[in-house]
Amino acid sequence: MGNWFMNSVIVAAFVSLAPVPVAAQAPAAKPQAYTAPRTPDGKPDLQGVWQVLNTAAWDIQDHQARLDVPAGQGVVEGNEIPYQPWAVAKKKENFENRLIADPVTKCYLPGVPRITYMPYPCQIFQTATCMVIIYEYVHAVRTVYTNRPHLPGHIDFWMGVSRGRWEEDTLVVDTIDFNDETWLDGAGNFHSDALHVVERYTRTGPDHIAYEVTIEDPKVFTRPWKMSMPLYRRQEKNAQILDYECHALEEEALGRLK
Amino acid sequence: MSRGFFDSTMAIAAALVVLSLTPVSGAAQTSLLGSDVEARRSLGGGGQTPTAAEKTWSPPRTSDGQPDIQGFWNNQGRRLSTYNIEAMEGASETHTLLSGVQSDSQSLIVDPADGKIPYQPWARAKRQDVFDNHTNLTKWEYVDPHTRCFLSGVPRVFYQGTFQVLQPPGYVVILQEFNHGSRIIPLDGRPHVEDSIKLWMGDSRGHWEGNTLVVDVTSHNDKTRFDIVGDFHSDALHISERYTFVNPDTISYEATFEDPKVYARPFKMALTFGRTVGGEAAQSYELLEEACHEGQRNTPNMFYRLDSSPK
Repeated sequence: MGNWFMNSVIVAAFVSLAPVPVAAQAPAAKPQAYTAPRTPDGKPDLQGVWQVLNTAAWDIQDHQARLDVPAGQGVVEGNEIPYQPWAVAKKKENFENRLIADPVTKCYLPGVPRITYMPYPCQIFQTATCMVIIYEYVHAVRTVYTNRPHLPGHIDFWMGVSRGRWEEDTLVVDTIDFNDETWLDGAGNFHSDALHVVERYTRTGPDHIAYEVTIEDPKVFTRPWKMSMPLYRRQEKNAQILDYECHALEEEALGRLK
Repeated sequence: MSRGFFDSTMAIAAALVVLSLTPVSGAAQTSLLGSDVEARRSLGGGGQTPTAAEKTWSPPRTSDGQPDIQGFWNNQGRRLSTYNIEAMEGASETHTLLSGVQSDSQSLIVDPADGKIPYQPWARAKRQDVFDNHTNLTKWEYVDPHTRCFLSGVPRVFYQGTFQVLQPPGYVVILQEFNHGSRIIPLDGRPHVEDSIKLWMGDSRGHWEGNTLVVDVTSHNDKTRFDIVGDFHSDALHISERYTFVNPDTISYEATFEDPKVYARPFKMALTFGRTVGGEAAQSYELLEEACHEGQRNTPNMFYRLDSSPK
């Protein structure tokens, strides 16, 4: 439980002291006429170590600072999330219970798209048949195949099953087969197992990816809605994915890891 | 994703864990292999010697010139592997009893010749204590880290079910189905992270020597183990790995382990990796999410008993 809290404190300290993040939270710039370098098979090269600079992991909508939560401008287009009436009440309940009800406090995989805007780096790799994203946070991994259709039927996965396709210079990632146990942020925004996520990854410069995501879930929302944010390339020459083993850290804090 | 098979009875829990960890997946997945793959595959133990033809074999290449070893692999040896890498006396019988799978008793250790890890005396005693109590879980130290959904570490990642090798430009990336573990191996000669940083899967740096991938692994933490019965290392562990691409469907793996805090001298382990899925089938096969920690249900029972047992 404590690790998310402690991490919040650390990140909150950074965000509140640094002058830059306000600008960083503006919606992602419209993809410019930038021509990305190519992979060996001619696709835009998305590879590298990337990270967001925003507060969406705590709350994807506009929010004042709360204890251990930095203030932030929302990443939701128009700021409103089109919940069905019953779901408005559920979201409110989630928010009130968030300190124990947020699945991330149990060190669970955070789902998609929340994994993208957890305040930890990820590394993108590309081959001729897939994009692989390895995330530092709880060693989450997504393999986005670009050469095959979705699996038949519905299977519940924490991170869903992802398939990619190129639309000009944008990698469009279609993800389904979710369970209903993850949240979209730490403020109780949620979804059902009917969640359908469409992400768009577009290089806009040497060190930026415009990340746009459309959320669709007919059991919870009245219509699809969108979020957007930039992904920033980590500039450190020695940038690499390290460990954030939430579950092991929690066990260690409880004296159960010797 | 389902780890709901834990029973609150510890002995049964231990037995079931062993059952889930037995290296039978090679047999289960054999039908996915093409017959040519079957014919080429060697099911022998680790460290097989390449034939003359294999020594001069010219593999397909990736776009950046690496021998292309991409695909799905697992440990093909019939050795005890994740239960007991030393295959001590009695291990085979215990393993068979717990798993219902007949095992032979070959050690993964090829040097020293007796197949035993050359522990320092205190370390041998510590390992023996875990061995004696691995079905009598009265201390946290007796619980296999895998049972608790911690990452496998190196080299256990390779004898714990299927793993996938990907070769994006400048890297070898290894994805493990169990607990979605991964290894990122840069090939560009960059230095290791500082040794003060410890990582569950270590810090890997690699380069190719002909058909052999040579990987240096540092920055291990002291929390992973080699098997269920307590074979261990410290955070001073240094592993030198050699992956020799012997033929299209076989990788001969040999690793040298040094750890001056725990071992009296270096030792060597050998494994043989074979493809689990070949040909056309590999084009549609994929690893699925194995959300180990998220799926644990009855382990709080075990934790309660361990937390409240006398220390």
